Amino acid sequence: MGFCSRVLLFGLLVLAGTPVRAEIVHLTLPNKIVAQGEFRTGDPAKPAVLLLHGFLQTHNFPTIHRLVEALSDEGYTVLAPTLSLGIPHRGQSVACEAIHTHTVAQGAEELNAWVKWLSARQVRQIILAGHSIGNIYNLAYLSSYPDSRVKKLIGISIVEGRLKIGEPARAGLVRDLRKAVQEDKRKTIEHQFSFCQRFHATRESLLSYLEWGPDKILTAVRKANLPVTMIMGGKDDRLGADWVDRLKKTPARVIIIPGANHFMDGQHEFDLVDEFLNEMKLP
Amino acid sequence: MKPLSIGRLAILYLAISTMLLALLGGYLWREIDQTSQALHTHEVVAANTELEEAVQAILTRMHNTAEGLSKWDETRQQLVFPEYYTLWRDNRVRDVGLVPPSVDSVALYDKDGHILQGANSPDPMPDTLPGPAPLSLLKREAGHDHFYHFVPVHADPGNMVLLGYLGLKFDLLVELTHARAYRYADLSTLKVSLDPEHAVEASRTLDFLKIEAQPNPELLEFQRLLENSLPRLAIAMLLTLLTATLLLNRLVVNPLRSLSAEIDALRDPNVKIREQRPPSLPVLELENVRRSLDEYQNRLADMHQNLEETSQSFFEQARHDALTGAFNRRAFDEDWHESVRDRRLGEVALILFDCDHFKAINDTYGHNVGDAVIQSISICLQRALRADDRLYRIGGDEFATVLGDTDAHQARLVAERCLEQVLGHDFRQYGLSEPVTISIGVALSDLPAADDSRIPLTELQKRADLAMYAAKRPGGQKIMFYTREIGSAEALVASRSINAVFQALQEPEYIEMVYQPVVRLPMMQHDYAEALTRIRFENELVYPGDIFPIVQDRNLDAEFDLAIIRAINRDMDNGRLPAGQGVSINLSAQGIVNARVMDTMLALLAAETGRKIVVEITETALITQLETASANIQKLREAGALVALDDFGSGYSSLRYLSSMPVDLVKFDISLVRLLDNGTDKQKLMLEEIARMVITAGYDLVAEGIETRELLDKTIRLGFSHAQGYYLGKPA
Repeated sequence: MGFCSRVLLFGLLVLAGTPVRAEIVHLTLPNKIVAQGEFRTGDPAKPAVLLLHGFLQTHNFPTIHRLVEALSDEGYTVLAPTLSLGIPHRGQSVACEAIHTHTVAQGAEELNAWVKWLSARQVRQIILAGHSIGNIYNLAYLSSYPDSRVKKLIGISIVEGRLKIGEPARAGLVRDLRKAVQEDKRKTIEHQFSFCQRFHATRESLLSYLEWGPDKILTAVRKANLPVTMIMGGKDDRLGADWVDRLKKTPARVIIIPGANHFMDGQHEFDLVDEFLNEMKLP
Repeated sequence: MKPLSIGRLAILYLAISTMLLALLGGYLWREIDQTSQALHTHEVVAANTELEEAVQAILTRMHNTAEGLSKWDETRQQLVFPEYYTLWRDNRVRDVGLVPPSVDSVALYDKDGHILQGANSPDPMPDTLPGPAPLSLLKREAGHDHFYHFVPVHADPGNMVLLGYLGLKFDLLVELTHARAYRYADLSTLKVSLDPEHAVEASRTLDFLKIEAQPNPELLEFQRLLENSLPRLAIAMLLTLLTATLLLNRLVVNPLRSLSAEIDALRDPNVKIREQRPPSLPVLELENVRRSLDEYQNRLADMHQNLEETSQSFFEQARHDALTGAFNRRAFDEDWHESVRDRRLGEVALILFDCDHFKAINDTYGHNVGDAVIQSISICLQRALRADDRLYRIGGDEFATVLGDTDAHQARLVAERCLEQVLGHDFRQYGLSEPVTISIGVALSDLPAADDSRIPLTELQKRADLAMYAAKRPGGQKIMFYTREIGSAEALVASRSINAVFQALQEPEYIEMVYQPVVRLPMMQHDYAEALTRIRFENELVYPGDIFPIVQDRNLDAEFDLAIIRAINRDMDNGRLPAGQGVSINLSAQGIVNARVMDTMLALLAAETGRKIVVEITETALITQLETASANIQKLREAGALVALDDFGSGYSSLRYLSSMPVDLVKFDISLVRLLDNGTDKQKLMLEEIARMVITAGYDLVAEGIETRELLDKTIRLGFSHAQGYYLGKPA
């Protein structure tokens, strides 16, 4: 058998043995905004994975994209939506300096819409996964829209929206914001938040993220009525000093990938994929 | 065409050069101006091209900016949630860098084309969409020109869901300024011919724009340089022309004028050829011409000098006798006429010299000897003359001199000195046996004429001729001064004698022969008679002293011999010479070798066999053809004649003749015979010895000139066999 013939046969086998069908899907949200996401159909017998990107990112973020590819390759149905963040047909990451009006609650609502979108496609088991602050949307969803079809939460590099001002000041800021929101929640504010030096958002928007501090996250984890696994990078510099330890104190299973950073890129992407796939096989 | 001088040609050349330079300058100026115009046109075209490219780039960028902005998520967000539209429009759009700073305004319009509400913008956008998007406009507002560009904004990538519209506003000039770098277009000159508040499609923008090209600094610099350079160039050209003029004048014009003047000067024969060579000319060709001219002048000078020398030489040759070096006849005539004309002559003496018997010498010894004799006579005469006296050779054997301020005594001294010099010269060195003598005739200007007036100087030559003629006469003095007697007699005689001789030759009856008896000694019996020639002319007798110089001078010897023979023959026929009467006939030297004379004589001898006929050959007459003469003498003797050598002792060659020719009788010259009377003892002794020697040799001796008994006795005593003379019988 010649080389060309072998290549041709391999191609045919790949096509015939892969039930995956990748497509960009759109979902009109309750606020009439159309959101989009990447959907890959897999083995119906396997659980579907709803994989959510991190803060201000899209489903094309590399960490998400690699997992989409890996899960799809493993025959899993994968839906990687891009949160609209108030932008119709958003397909680009949003700049920190953009006027952010979205809130964590709105994100949870969009997740709910997507879960329903999956349910409408006869998906009975959904494993919710997220990267970084995307896990906050997941936890908010789980808190606000419990659904029996969601079987598991796998969080990657979960972290709160960090402020560089320390916890006491953060608490003070939150208090001030709460008060300010009472006065005018639509007024915008610029403040350092997460990786944004100037996060330009409405008071309501910023407060919604600041409300999800570490304690609230850990609480949400503890209260999650399903298995929770947290895959953390051994050298994730965006985490608080005791964050992993505090996670480990929750019911969540914490997997540490040594040497991996917040995005688990480079050689650690394989470790992430391996750990994620292993976790997918666990109950 | 009249030729122009080099100066005018130089001026013409410079004028033409100046005109050509001016034309060249004008042509260059015109070319540069045209080139500048072409460059300007090119730059205007390039400027418009740049403007067109800039406008196109602006439109493209405007479109791209609008497209990019319309695809931006936050743009769509504003169309959905316009709550923060103003913030987005005024800050967010600018901050994110999706629009260039030159964009004056950004606006969003809803699906109905109404602008989203927001705070007023410093550059307000139209409240409603001006037309269906996409749309690009150029509009003049408040003195500024703006581009407007409107594009639709869709919610989905497939542009299926229209959310609204995006509008951008650019300031034309600002955008043009930033669109590109301009090399040619000058934006400060941009003019937009658009009515205020009037909008046109942006694609027609160029129709309303007008721009000028930037000033080309290089071209401006070039023109400035050219404008600054032209006066300097003109000055430089003028200086160059001035320098060229000076150089041309110095190097060419002046040298050529100098050369021309020199050449012109050569036309004047009186101008002396330049002796000092002028300094070298700086131009090689002119120097060559100058050198050639100098060489030509030098050659001309040499030729002139040679001509003068040749002319002088010819003049000298023309005035000098080639043989003797003395002045010739021409010089004599010229000097004579010049002297006569200038009347410089005071008391002068004209002396003529003539070589005796020169023709015979020439014929006997040849021309070389004759020439040597003439040369020697010339030398002798020049030696005898005073330093300032000129000797002229005026004929073959005739010389002359003119002695200025000379009286008769001085003339005689000179003449005698000349005669002595000639007589004292040893002519035997040339092989001559006979003595060479000269006859000298002297004429003095101070001898008054017959009328006692001073004679014309031109007469002197004639007088000297007559005197010399007299000196030529046999037995006379060799120096004769002209006297009136000579003048009258000789002139008369000469004229009469010549006529007589020619008359006698034509008519022999004019010849009257007289016969002088010759007696035999010692008994004095009449033996024969010597026939002596007379010519009766005009009832007067012409004697041999007048006849024979004419005959010899005119070379008529043989003719005259024949006439004499015919006369004697006539006398024999008519009985004047009785039968049996012997006769002695004198024949000339030419006659003895002349065939006709010999034939006549032989005929006479044959006819007169019974008569004693003696043929006398004059010893003084040189016999030129000795062998022929000897043969003829022998013939005469064989025919019965006796031959006598006449005038023996009057010349050098008496003994030579005697030994060479078969003669029977020897007639002692009368000068020898008279020595018996008046000679010294030594002379007498010599004469006696000569007579004895001749007798001993077997010849009969004849003595002539016997005029006394005593002389007769002496001849008898010396053994003479015959004698003749007046004592014994006069010619009759």
